[in-house]
Amino acid sequence: MSMDTSSVDPTSGEYVASTMSDEVVIELVQVNKWYGEFHVLKDIALSVNKGERIVICGPSGSGKSTLIRCINRLEEHQAGDILVNGTALDTNVKNIDAIRRDVGMVFQSFNLFPHLTILENCTLAPIWVKGLPKAEAEKIAMQYLERVKIPEQAAKYPGQLSGGQQQRVAIARSLCMSPNIMLFDEPTSALDPEMISEVLDVMVGLAETGMTMLVVTHEMGFAKKVADRVIFMDQGEVVEQNTPDEFFNNPKSDRTKLFLSQILAH
Amino acid sequence: MSDTTHSDAVFRPKPSLPPPPNTVGVVGWLRKNLFGGPIDTIFTVVGIWLIGTLLVTVYQYGIANAVWEANSYRECLDTVLPNGEKVGHSGACWAGVAVWMNQYIYGRYPDPEQWRVQLCLAILVLWLMPFWLPRVTAKIQTGLSAVLTFPFLAAHILLGGEAGSFLMLTSSLALALFVTVWLNVITSYAMNKSVGKLVVELTGMADKDDRLHKWVLLAGFAVVFLGALAYESSWDLVAVPTTDWGGLFLTLCISGIAIASAIPSGVILALGRRSKMPVIRVFCTMWIELFRSVPLITILFMAVTMMPLFLPVELNPDKLVMVIVAVCIFASAYMAEIVRGGLQAIPKGQYEAAQALGLNYWKVTTFIVMPQALKLMIPNIVGNFIGLLKDTTLVSIIGLYDILLMAKASGQDPNWLGLHAEPMLFAAGVFFIICFAMSKYSQHLERTIAGGYGRR
Ligand SMILES: Nc1ncnc2c1ncn2[C@@H]1O[C@H](COP(=O)(O)OP(=O)(O)OP(=O)(O)O)[C@@H](O)[C@H]1O
Ligand SMILES: [Mg+2]
Repeated sequence: MSMDTSSVDPTSGEYVASTMSDEVVIELVQVNKWYGEFHVLKDIALSVNKGERIVICGPSGSGKSTLIRCINRLEEHQAGDILVNGTALDTNVKNIDAIRRDVGMVFQSFNLFPHLTILENCTLAPIWVKGLPKAEAEKIAMQYLERVKIPEQAAKYPGQLSGGQQQRVAIARSLCMSPNIMLFDEPTSALDPEMISEVLDVMVGLAETGMTMLVVTHEMGFAKKVADRVIFMDQGEVVEQNTPDEFFNNPKSDRTKLFLSQILAH
Repeated sequence: MSDTTHSDAVFRPKPSLPPPPNTVGVVGWLRKNLFGGPIDTIFTVVGIWLIGTLLVTVYQYGIANAVWEANSYRECLDTVLPNGEKVGHSGACWAGVAVWMNQYIYGRYPDPEQWRVQLCLAILVLWLMPFWLPRVTAKIQTGLSAVLTFPFLAAHILLGGEAGSFLMLTSSLALALFVTVWLNVITSYAMNKSVGKLVVELTGMADKDDRLHKWVLLAGFAVVFLGALAYESSWDLVAVPTTDWGGLFLTLCISGIAIASAIPSGVILALGRRSKMPVIRVFCTMWIELFRSVPLITILFMAVTMMPLFLPVELNPDKLVMVIVAVCIFASAYMAEIVRGGLQAIPKGQYEAAQALGLNYWKVTTFIVMPQALKLMIPNIVGNFIGLLKDTTLVSIIGLYDILLMAKASGQDPNWLGLHAEPMLFAAGVFFIICFAMSKYSQHLERTIAGGYGRR
């Protein structure tokens, strides 16, 4: 494992200046979703500007994963509208494909393809979805692997890498499709503490490039450093949203206060 | 610990002592595994005695008292051993097996035409060889071309006579593909480039557009195809009807086609069974459940007795073709369930990650799910193939002279009346060798492919 990043806490230091613009790239209007009888998402309304970095937090089971998985249609919502880059997510497969090409996603459990090498993991989609020639896809993949600081692992298989390295590959793999929105679902929760910082470091770097990011995480240091907005969810509802400053120092709702006291306690 | 902490003496490791006697080497192994206690010892002694007796009996029957040359079973029985006694049933009559060997292998395929069977085998081996040649690319295309078209070429060669236009076209296509595959092997080794690249360069199109290349290659292949067609039209082979096919050759024909068709049809059925489209799902589920819950022999009977009643008379379905179709259907249903099992072992996260990257259903299936699932399924698939090979002996019940029925037939030959055990032992030996080889190969595949994701 490379140790060069873990000595510095990536979430300390200067706030990463936002390059957020007025253009709305994600728009959720009165989104509702049920699992059978269970109402997971209740009247979610959210609009995300281009370049905006949003951190979503909340207790377990509050619907955070479900919410961001609806944005690239890994889950289907039953009522309300979701627009990504102006395209509505409905049953039209063309729309879904178009949106998935523009929206990258990083999972808690990495989900690398174990039968492919790191490089093949990164070139598969560019070749078969975008139709790039192999040589070009490999060149791009190597650039991103360098950006996440593991170009030397390109020929290995995912099973030969540490958790932190795998998650960085997963980020590089998404970036190879040059998405303009990135979704992160608890990218560091499956990692040992010493590997968390190397992944957060990459994510902070990504924020510096002006990427639109929606991040579900409990890393409050990360939220303070890069978030433009923190969203607190509980029982399928957006309970509170605010700038990180206001959110941490001046929470409005009792539920937020309770949550913050629990999360900051340890 | 105690004396090194307060003295500045240099640490020296204690010298290694030899292990206690009788724990290593041959003696140690024997003591541990065979004579560990009184009960172990009794089992060992009894076991050695049993194995010894068996080996002696086998040796006596199969080699010492066996008769290798004779003209009839009677002669075998009457052969006099060095000790003055007649062999009788104390020794095997391999002479009979040797006389019938040709039929065990080729059935009643006429002697002067048997080179055609050997030729087909040679073509098949050569066609699949590029799989084991590391420098050759396009392995999947090679395998697909062999599986999809080789049967037609083999049918044309083996049947001989006047080929219908369908068989003529398909078998010429097969020959053209085979030639292309081997041209590719030769250019890959001789010039380190694929045949396609060579053709493009030779025609001076290297600097042109990709789409133009495709047309050039297609035209090149058309030339090869026409050559193959002209060549095959000039063939003048004696017709050998399928009723003369038999022996090991027939067994391998049926099981080979069933095995080759099982993977693609099993994959399609398994995917169909998981499909979101109700019509497809219900159809596939019914197919699988129906053919899995009836014995193969009933499917075979249906195929040879009932199907001809439903089919138009002009079609005049060949018995062997019906049997092969029946075995393929049976194999597809079993393979489908194996594939479904493999698919279920792929974590949901793999689908999600692939979908999130924008891959559609077919691409997710082809590049992510199937490769992983097939690797997991290797032991089951090979186990299923072994079962299928053995199951094809059931065709002897409906009167096809496969190796088993041939082995029985030899005992009814007036010259060899009563020759029953030896042909069966021979057939058993043949099956054992084939199945054992398959099983070993599957273990090899598991080690090299399935274990091949680096560390996992
Ligand atoms: N496929 C499903 N079927 C039925 N219920 C589900 C399904 N997936 C999630 N749920 C339920 O929906 C609720 C929200 O789940 P979700 O995964 O979005 O929570 P979360 O906020 O991401 O929690 P965590 O922090 O534990 O990841 C949970 O109560 C969960 O049990
Ligand atoms: Mg979650």
